[in-house]
Amino acid sequence: MTLPYQCLAACTRSAAVGNGWLLFGATGSELVVQSSTGAASHWSPEIPTPEVKEPALEGEHEGPPGKRVKLTPVTEPKPNISHLKTTQDGQHLVAVTAEDKCIRVFQIDDQCRLEQLSQRCMAKRPSSITLTADDTTILCADKFGDVYSLPLLPSPEDEQGVILEPNDEQKKFAPSASVLTVHSGRNRKALEEQLKQAEKGKKQVKETPKFKHQLIIGHVSMLTDIACTKVGSRSYILTADRDEHIRVSRGIPQAHIIEGFCQGHEEFVSRVCFAKAGRLVSGGGGPYLYVWDWLSFRLLEKLPLQGPILEHYKGHPFQAGATDFKVAVSRIWSVPNSAQEVDEVLVACEGVPALLSFKLGGSSGAGKVLPLDGNVLDLSFIEVDGGRVTAAVSIDHVHKPGSTQEVRQEPGTSRLQYLCRNNSGEWEHDRTLAEALEGFGQTVPDEEQDLSTAGEEIRGTADDKAKALRDLLYGIENLRKRPGAED
Amino acid sequence: MMAAEPVKRQKREAYKKSLAADDGALPKKKFFRQRAHANPFSDHALTYPKSPAEMNWASLYPAYAVKKPAEGEKEKVDESRAEGQVANEEDQRQARSITKDVEIADIGCGFGGLLFALSTAFPDTLSIGMEIRISVTEYVQEKIRALRSQNAENQAYQNIACLRANTMKFLPNFFRKHQLRAIFLCFPDPHFKQRKHKARIVSSTLCAEYAFVVRPGGYVYTITDVRDLHEWMVGHFEGHASWARVEGQELEEGEVGQCVATMSTETEESKKVTRNNGEKFVAVFRRVEDPAWPGEESEA
Repeated sequence: MTLPYQCLAACTRSAAVGNGWLLFGATGSELVVQSSTGAASHWSPEIPTPEVKEPALEGEHEGPPGKRVKLTPVTEPKPNISHLKTTQDGQHLVAVTAEDKCIRVFQIDDQCRLEQLSQRCMAKRPSSITLTADDTTILCADKFGDVYSLPLLPSPEDEQGVILEPNDEQKKFAPSASVLTVHSGRNRKALEEQLKQAEKGKKQVKETPKFKHQLIIGHVSMLTDIACTKVGSRSYILTADRDEHIRVSRGIPQAHIIEGFCQGHEEFVSRVCFAKAGRLVSGGGGPYLYVWDWLSFRLLEKLPLQGPILEHYKGHPFQAGATDFKVAVSRIWSVPNSAQEVDEVLVACEGVPALLSFKLGGSSGAGKVLPLDGNVLDLSFIEVDGGRVTAAVSIDHVHKPGSTQEVRQEPGTSRLQYLCRNNSGEWEHDRTLAEALEGFGQTVPDEEQDLSTAGEEIRGTADDKAKALRDLLYGIENLRKRPGAED
Repeated sequence: MMAAEPVKRQKREAYKKSLAADDGALPKKKFFRQRAHANPFSDHALTYPKSPAEMNWASLYPAYAVKKPAEGEKEKVDESRAEGQVANEEDQRQARSITKDVEIADIGCGFGGLLFALSTAFPDTLSIGMEIRISVTEYVQEKIRALRSQNAENQAYQNIACLRANTMKFLPNFFRKHQLRAIFLCFPDPHFKQRKHKARIVSSTLCAEYAFVVRPGGYVYTITDVRDLHEWMVGHFEGHASWARVEGQELEEGEVGQCVATMSTETEESKKVTRNNGEKFVAVFRRVEDPAWPGEESEA
């Protein structure tokens, strides 16, 4: 089974490193790359074997993704890629693999091949990553609520400086409580137990990662998104969490100073996105898109999301049971500058086969629905020529449009669709790019796929496979709080 | 134990009903006891304002309300909602607000020993007790109600209130930037196990949040009977650029001295530790001014 692309990334490269654009797609555990010149390559993580410590690089070849020979039988499912981010110069790609919590940095060569430079496994699963404005530092927000900064390219000193530390932790265990500490009866027993254990021997201390990483910000809530920006000489880091918060902190090295909060969300926040003119757009589990003057923490407007979607899909099959239809924003993108001086954002909601377009600051806050062939998973803007921008949209070709559960019967839906703006500023399908990226978007019939690795990470029974794919593609709705937690 | 639960609940409910009928009656602790630990990461069914501006302080400090609720006010609000929401919003905000800000927060106030002492020690300051355990919060609220009723003639205990909150998550929902003059963290849950350390009320990342709500020149007061936790709290506050430890003479003088003394004698846990001949570890930290932004050295 060909998997959809769960994430996309694109970049434009300067003449020095091969000119033109590059598009990256993550499908399951595999990375697919194609450039405007037609060069293409693949990358997929190597299953760690105890001895071998070669950088995991395999099977790059010209032409569209397709047949590959399975090298060795693998025992463990490969980790799925959950995030992609390119540097502005288009020389490096940062990818996060979910199951092994690893941040991987790749060098992109002029043949658009990927060479993995580093692989750093975090203590907790990253939920969002970004790069600082100067592209030297990765900011990684995790499910535990913490933000760590890591150098994009660790220098040799960075590596050495930290290796010495962990051994210091092997101190003799001493319980923090004493017999004088105020205790319940059960606590007292636990203390006796601890003292006994301490006599027997050392306690296993959980190892901390051995590379340079620094805790800079933390929420007591799952982080859902992180973004950073620079206003004049001041840099800022914004973090969003499952408890309705959007926090504005100063950038490194003063990230410990909280400047303020954008308050108003009534459900979890899943995404924040900088728009033009000092605006921030955020969305989450609520039925509105929030537009902020974030530097003064002021809510400018709340744009309805649910209405336009329901209106557009009146009578559509996916509307069965629409009464409890809840919107969960999965992605927000600010449309790159173009001839028109409109501040436009595109919004994807989980399990909705359309994009919503909002023009900010105008008189009409109504969202426009752009219907697509399947649920929107991700989008990337490609600068085609002379500043003209095309949006490559990743489509879920496996599930029925409007459903995150039901599988399509009819095959043949492309994994990608392309939209560009015509002269009057309306979005329409872009045929030229669709042709250029034909190999990238097409799905391979099942029998040809048998020997490839694309479907490997999802094994087990058909049900398990289906669930694993659902979890990979649709995680936002799970952020919703469930009522009835204990006191 | 499970079989006993319904009986216990029935008794508690009956007791709380009888208590509600008698304005001046002090609550009995035994009907409000609750397990000493709460998981700060779980989604409790909490109510909290979306932002400090939406906090209904007037309901907690009625004597300080900007606009005294008139008879039948509630019905009127419901009616007018249909007509003009905008005009109403301003009205509602007024109805929620009080004439002075809350300036002292007792985080994890427990049964409120310190809070009641703060009421008399700082009669002109509004103090709030914040507690995550629902029954314990109810006890403090009942006790405040009873004391206010007993002291109706001199308006005592109008300057304290207690609410249920998970401050580790929602502190900025209650307080504006730099609103507080002092935060007390008295005998917090030590969370002995290493993998539970993130559940502690002090961490480097929470120090940033305390620094957000406490004004420069304000203080955080900590006390515990667990040496390891004391060292942990000192380590994290000292390691945070927004805080400096207060030491020596300063701990005994002025308001700091008064706070330290009150905290060391008046909290419920403090009394227990004294009875047990246990040790008490006190630490105080001052909120220092934020530095200039990088590259913007102060004009002064």
